[in-house]
Amino acid sequence: MLGKLMKYEWQSTWKLLLPANLLIVVMTFFACIAIRLNFDDIRNEGILFSAAMILVTYVGSMFVVMIGTAVYLIYRFYTSTFGDQGYLLHTLPVDKHNIIIAKAVVSTAWVLFSSFLIYLSVLFIFASEEGVIPELMDSMEVFVVRAGGPSTLFAGVMTLIAFVVSILARVLKVAACLSLGQLSANHKLLMSFAFYFGIYLLQQIISSFYYAFLGLVNRRLDGFYYGETWEVTLIAGLVYTVLFYAVTWYTMEKKLNLE
Amino acid sequence: MEINRAPIVQCRGLTKTYGGKTALNHINLNLECGRIIGLLGPNGSGKTTLIKIMNGLLNPTAGEVLIGGARPGVDTKYRISYLPERTYLYPGMRVEEMIRYFQDFYPDFRMDRAYDMLARLQIAPRERLKNLSKGTKEKVQLILVMSRDSDLYILDEPIAGVDPASRDYILHTIVQNYSRNATILLSTHLIADVESILDEVVFIRYGSIVLQAGAEQIRRNEGKSVDRFFREVFAC
Repeated sequence: MLGKLMKYEWQSTWKLLLPANLLIVVMTFFACIAIRLNFDDIRNEGILFSAAMILVTYVGSMFVVMIGTAVYLIYRFYTSTFGDQGYLLHTLPVDKHNIIIAKAVVSTAWVLFSSFLIYLSVLFIFASEEGVIPELMDSMEVFVVRAGGPSTLFAGVMTLIAFVVSILARVLKVAACLSLGQLSANHKLLMSFAFYFGIYLLQQIISSFYYAFLGLVNRRLDGFYYGETWEVTLIAGLVYTVLFYAVTWYTMEKKLNLE
Repeated sequence: MEINRAPIVQCRGLTKTYGGKTALNHINLNLECGRIIGLLGPNGSGKTTLIKIMNGLLNPTAGEVLIGGARPGVDTKYRISYLPERTYLYPGMRVEEMIRYFQDFYPDFRMDRAYDMLARLQIAPRERLKNLSKGTKEKVQLILVMSRDSDLYILDEPIAGVDPASRDYILHTIVQNYSRNATILLSTHLIADVESILDEVVFIRYGSIVLQAGAEQIRRNEGKSVDRFFREVFAC
């Protein structure tokens, strides 16, 4: 049943999200041409204006696709799970684990796909004359080194895994907040927002305490292993993934409230 | 064929409160197999709440409901075919895609029956659901629900949004497409339209069951139709 749920989840999202993401590819193509124009030699104001507009539209479209993808996935999760279509979803002979996994995996895949496309797009825009591959390698090296670990393949792979897990945790955080919000009798979406900001605040407080604690330890122990690494991201991501998954499952299984 | 008369639905002390408001008040109810049962009551009497608890869409505050001896869950969802009072179809899908969707998830779904009913109601399988009128969407939902070979059909207001000309066909469809061992629980306020097919009625008011009796028994004992009797019991 999980495969069937994922198939329909994919089918109902790709029709909007695939064209939206293809917009990134198209805009990147035009932006690459516009940014490589030699502006000093161009006297035609029409061409200059068009090039500037293309670059502005490119930046705008990146934001629209990024935010639009997130908003659409949240909207779809809400309507198909707790809106009218929830009546169909929750009367299918499938358990709640399958429902959550199908939605979380497909949503995470879309966010990763959009992020990857935007990342590639920026590389193409700023690529030197030598092409995009050296830029890609450089950025990967910076990515790994900034992750705090040694510049090795292992650290790079683990950083990517940590990134994927942190996206999954964010998707499940939204699912958990919407699940908690639907417990409210009258203001389900408002309560979902309230839960989201409450949890966000709590996460910031936990994070602050963690780094404050590390700061104290570092002052006492010279050369203590500092926290800005893929390990912290991965562990935090896994903890939050399990926590938000459990909250979503519990509210769907024991407290479903399709009034 | 011998009809199984064991209860398919059992409610024991079933209570549901929303905040301080009681929607269902300690309901005890048994519904037998092989009956067409009308769940009748005025607006806000608790019909839809009771139906939603049977389908696992709401959780009771106290008490329990058993479907074939089991609490609502994956196993009971295989046995129940549920028509809600609202449109739950994916608007972007075509009718034929929705049929495939039901066939994918319900092993008891009969595709030939669905296409036969679509043809009779002149609904194009290629049509997108968002392009259909509200009444036609309700017909599609009913076709999907009645194309399953379920043990229990729970139909919440199945004819409320349908034009009078189609109501007879829909009622005919309901009666024709269920096995004699299955049960149909039908919630409606259009009693006159459905009275002819009902074996039994359950009257519900303020979240309590006020009467459970055979339709024929009411007509015989009260000397009036179920519709007339309902109007007298629930007169404002």
